[in-house]
Amino acid sequence: MIVFIARRLVISFFVLLAATFIIYVLTALSGDPLEDLRQDNSPQKAQKIADRSERMQLDLPIPVRYLDWLGRTVRGDLGVNRDGQDIATILGDALSATLQLVLAATVLAITVGVIIGIVSALRQYSGFDYTVTFAAFVCFSLPLFWVAVMLKQYMAIEFNNWLKNPVIPFPVIGLLALLGGLIFGALTTGDRKRRLMAFAVGFVISGALFTVLSSTRWFADPGLGLPLILAFGLASAVGFTALSAGLQYRGPLYAALAAAVIGAMCSELLNPLLIDPTWLEIGGLVLLTVAVCVGLGYGLGGLQRRQAIIATVLTGLFTGGMVFLDRMLQAFASYSASVRGRPISTIGARTPNYTGDFWQLNLDSAGHLLLPSMALILISLATYTRYSRASMLEVMNQDYVRTGRAKGLPERTVVVKHAFRNGLIPITTLMAFDFAGVIGGAVVTETVFGWRGMGFMFTKGLEEVDPAPVMAFFLVTGTAIVIFNMIADILYAYLDPRIRLS
Amino acid sequence: MTTPPNVPLDPQALDPQTIDPHAYEDAAHLLDSAEEVHVGRTLQDARPPSQEEILRVENLTVEFPTEDGVVHAVRGVSYGLREREVLGIVGESGSGKSVSSLAVMGLLPKNARVKGRILFRGDDMLKMSARKQRGLRGRKIAMIFQDPMTALNPVHSIGDQLAEAVLAHELMPRKTALARAKEMLDLVGIPQAEARLRSYPHEFSGGMRQRAMIAMAVINNPDVIIADEPTTALDVTVQAQILEKLLEVKDAVNAAIVLITHDLGVIAGMAHRVLVMYAGRPVELGDTDPVFEEPRMPYTAGLLGSIPSLEGGGSSRLRPIKGTPPSLINLPTGCPFSPRCPLATDVCREQEPPLAETDSGGHYAACHHWDKLAAVEDPTVFFRTESETVA
Amino acid sequence: MTLSAQASGPDTGAAQGMTIVARTQGQMIRRRFFRHRAALAGMILFGFVVVLSFSSIGFMGVPGWWDKSYLTTGALVNQGKPTLSVVPEFLGGSGIHLGEHPFGQDDIGVDYFAKTMRGTQQSIIVAFLVAIVATTVGTLVGAVSGYYRGKTEAVLMRFTDVMITIPVLVIAAVVGRRFGASGVVVLGVFIGLVIWPSMARLLRGEFLSLREKEFVEAARALGTSARRIIFRHILPNTVGVIIVSATLTVANAVLLESALSFLGLGVQAPDTSLGQLINEYRTAMVTRPWLFWWPGIFIIAIALSINFIGDGLRDAFDPRQTRVRA
Repeated sequence: MIVFIARRLVISFFVLLAATFIIYVLTALSGDPLEDLRQDNSPQKAQKIADRSERMQLDLPIPVRYLDWLGRTVRGDLGVNRDGQDIATILGDALSATLQLVLAATVLAITVGVIIGIVSALRQYSGFDYTVTFAAFVCFSLPLFWVAVMLKQYMAIEFNNWLKNPVIPFPVIGLLALLGGLIFGALTTGDRKRRLMAFAVGFVISGALFTVLSSTRWFADPGLGLPLILAFGLASAVGFTALSAGLQYRGPLYAALAAAVIGAMCSELLNPLLIDPTWLEIGGLVLLTVAVCVGLGYGLGGLQRRQAIIATVLTGLFTGGMVFLDRMLQAFASYSASVRGRPISTIGARTPNYTGDFWQLNLDSAGHLLLPSMALILISLATYTRYSRASMLEVMNQDYVRTGRAKGLPERTVVVKHAFRNGLIPITTLMAFDFAGVIGGAVVTETVFGWRGMGFMFTKGLEEVDPAPVMAFFLVTGTAIVIFNMIADILYAYLDPRIRLS
Repeated sequence: MTTPPNVPLDPQALDPQTIDPHAYEDAAHLLDSAEEVHVGRTLQDARPPSQEEILRVENLTVEFPTEDGVVHAVRGVSYGLREREVLGIVGESGSGKSVSSLAVMGLLPKNARVKGRILFRGDDMLKMSARKQRGLRGRKIAMIFQDPMTALNPVHSIGDQLAEAVLAHELMPRKTALARAKEMLDLVGIPQAEARLRSYPHEFSGGMRQRAMIAMAVINNPDVIIADEPTTALDVTVQAQILEKLLEVKDAVNAAIVLITHDLGVIAGMAHRVLVMYAGRPVELGDTDPVFEEPRMPYTAGLLGSIPSLEGGGSSRLRPIKGTPPSLINLPTGCPFSPRCPLATDVCREQEPPLAETDSGGHYAACHHWDKLAAVEDPTVFFRTESETVA
Repeated sequence: MTLSAQASGPDTGAAQGMTIVARTQGQMIRRRFFRHRAALAGMILFGFVVVLSFSSIGFMGVPGWWDKSYLTTGALVNQGKPTLSVVPEFLGGSGIHLGEHPFGQDDIGVDYFAKTMRGTQQSIIVAFLVAIVATTVGTLVGAVSGYYRGKTEAVLMRFTDVMITIPVLVIAAVVGRRFGASGVVVLGVFIGLVIWPSMARLLRGEFLSLREKEFVEAARALGTSARRIIFRHILPNTVGVIIVSATLTVANAVLLESALSFLGLGVQAPDTSLGQLINEYRTAMVTRPWLFWWPGIFIIAIALSINFIGDGLRDAFDPRQTRVRA
């Protein structure tokens, strides 16, 4: 394992090195770095040109400049841009914003995409499947920047305007209810009568839900409250148990239900801690949740201990997530007021000089991350959906899935244990490819949303034919891609015992 | 908890040395190739089959709607399986032999249209609830698939996949299930079973994997084992061992076997009774020896004639049946074998013959002209080419 | 003499056999493709866009049927709003007609329909050039590295590894910065020259598996030259993969070009492309949304139709994914 990682690191290092050379040379050749100064009419024109030429070492041949850059980079000096600003300083500010964006988009795209893909595969040729397939094609064909501008206009500006008086007009409620009904109906298989029933149920539930939300002006001051947290937690307990252990034996179910109840009660009991926590404390709570849940699963799981622990931990984390979400939502009204009623932001990665408690600060970065991530996610989401659907369909036709059924395993075990794990294997390869695409997308997204991130550094550097910031951008993103590739490889080897790391 | 099988194995019954080589001389005359593959099955079972039927398939039809039309994969198959019996089902690929057995297991794709009755100890499996049907699968009726390379999940260990088969039907500590898995690996002759539990399928050879599949099939002491071409994907040298092991294990757990194959030699050596299928229909059914010695359906005779014989020496030629099986979408009217049949007359092309009893009891054939076959000594004579007859 | 006759004899026989097979296979593929309704719709939509864009404003000096130019300004009609109307009068609309400026005008009075058509032409040209160049280079590299193995493969694949580490948008942006102003042809060729590695990787995989097949073994045993094996024996078997992948590359190239032009790193004004139009009028979203809508709709129409065509081709070439498994 360690040998494998070390070997991969060495190879990746050389690959990255070669890539830096290519990028450096191409960037240096991409234009005239003195273009703007040549049209300068000020008296110091000659002086300015001389200054910049010296700073950028334009008198040296490009490979020599590259070697010089490489030598300084190895010593930890990223150099200055053509205006003399220190690259490391610019990078420091840009880095965290961009990484946040890219990671949020990737994690969300993988989770949501794989889930949708699998459901779509298991419901092949259903209305849901057709809709997902069509939507994926549309997503493949959407220009990212265009979507970003649209989101900015309609999701941010119009949504913020609407929040001033968050009442959903009646026709819109009708549409939403219709949509809910269609989703329910499309997910149901069987004869027409069953699908119509599902449609009706979905229609009524979503219609009622949005009517209540609208009439209580929930969007102006949202929150879940203890009853809802408990309800969601209990529902998740049943769901996770059904997936991991099945419902015919009681042990795992009781463990998961207990986890949900304890989690919901903690939202009240831990109030003093939760009023203004730190990330460290949140992390501690997560660990505590896992520990308690493992204990519960072990104690109550009986003969199905393993499955019980899985179900309980997932339930615990889900309930914890609900508590977290509840707190965030509760802070929404005060946060919204503090940014003059425009919580969904369109510019930058955070509100400049914003101060507030933990929840408000988180809401601030969430409000800024929301739209860029939504835009950035679209394409990856479609990719993951399509691939996991295809992969799952392929796996479900494999002989070993049939063997699983022949053994008399319940369909849940066949899907979760035999099909899902095998279906994930090709997805890991996709992860590595897709990540590079997301970084490219981040460059575009940052431009639309005016983030001063890595993408901005790259485009500006490129426009100015200034290799130093372009190289800094590439060093970071290239390394990220290499690391991500390696994670994908390790995951692959973990999932597939036929591949042995050596 | 299920107890491990403790039926004493009669070592004599399994020793090829003790088999009377003359007992089946006549069948062997037709089936030299079988002898190469399989050194003669002991039909001297540890316990012979009883008369009680545990599985009864009645008028089973399976259809698949496709873009090109409806595929009539199985058209009215009926047979009974007695306790501890080995029933061989032979036929070419596409004759419906695999599809009918998948129907028994309830493993057909969702778009399949299944009709008829499949009675397990009197209960119709097609009418059972999904849960009850699942309870029979793997516990009472187990299946061994053709290709052991793909039938085992590559990402889970052998022990895990075996234990899972036990845990699917009975709640017990994982350790107990693994111990049972180890016993089973011992039973099928996998050395160092304890260590092999942790191995993955790719670390096994083809023969070992098929042994593991057999272990998986018998781990719950099933009443019926359906073996779908269990040796087709294996090396010839391993085939005999696997078949031997299958019979040994069958005796150990007192199960009946439905053995699906296109290899007549295997059937002759192993099966008590044989069902010949053609174009989705049973065309001949009876005890193995009468069927092979005195076939009453030209198709069976053709199959027997197409087996290479060592005895005939260089003079005898291979005599393949001319033509190809019909499309299952547009079946010809009349007997589906008539276009290839040397005995076919107008009645064959107009009317499909039913499966009816022939001259000897318990021997059924679907042929208008079975009496013509009965009239000659060697029924394969009809398939000889003219040049051969001249020579 | 006899030897060469023996050597070429089976070969030509195989070639004849292959053409027969290819024809029936071709018919099957065509049948499957035309049965794919979305692909058919994609074909029609894409054909419509191509014909509309090239016939309306003309191409390479050949005049089109639309009387306004994408370069000359005119008096603002109706504050530059689109005059296109598709709602018939009996539904309360103003009837179906094009009007003076169906897509409206930009802020200095240039006819926006002409401009959008020009942008569509340019985007299509870039996309096809990118796909042709990338497919050719990628196929060659993939074929050679997949067939020869050994050192050739190692060198080519390491190079591909290097190129794959660089996000496509990044390397294309660097190239676009240099060649964006040199016209769409140069831009398309050079972008094609830097985005071939993924194609090479795909083809290499195909070649790696096909070179182990019996028919290649047989050809080798007959002493067929490596070049002949690659081009006459293996390549025809990868046509499906190549065509599908090339089609999808066209769709991706449309999006890539428009993204580059949007960043100001692709086609440069005064010339135009769909992405460049969106970039130019990005701030007009609130005041003149149509300047933003039309090019976006055309990008989506092109990319979506080509993606559907690609999907249809994939289904047609890969019968494993047929509807019903018999």
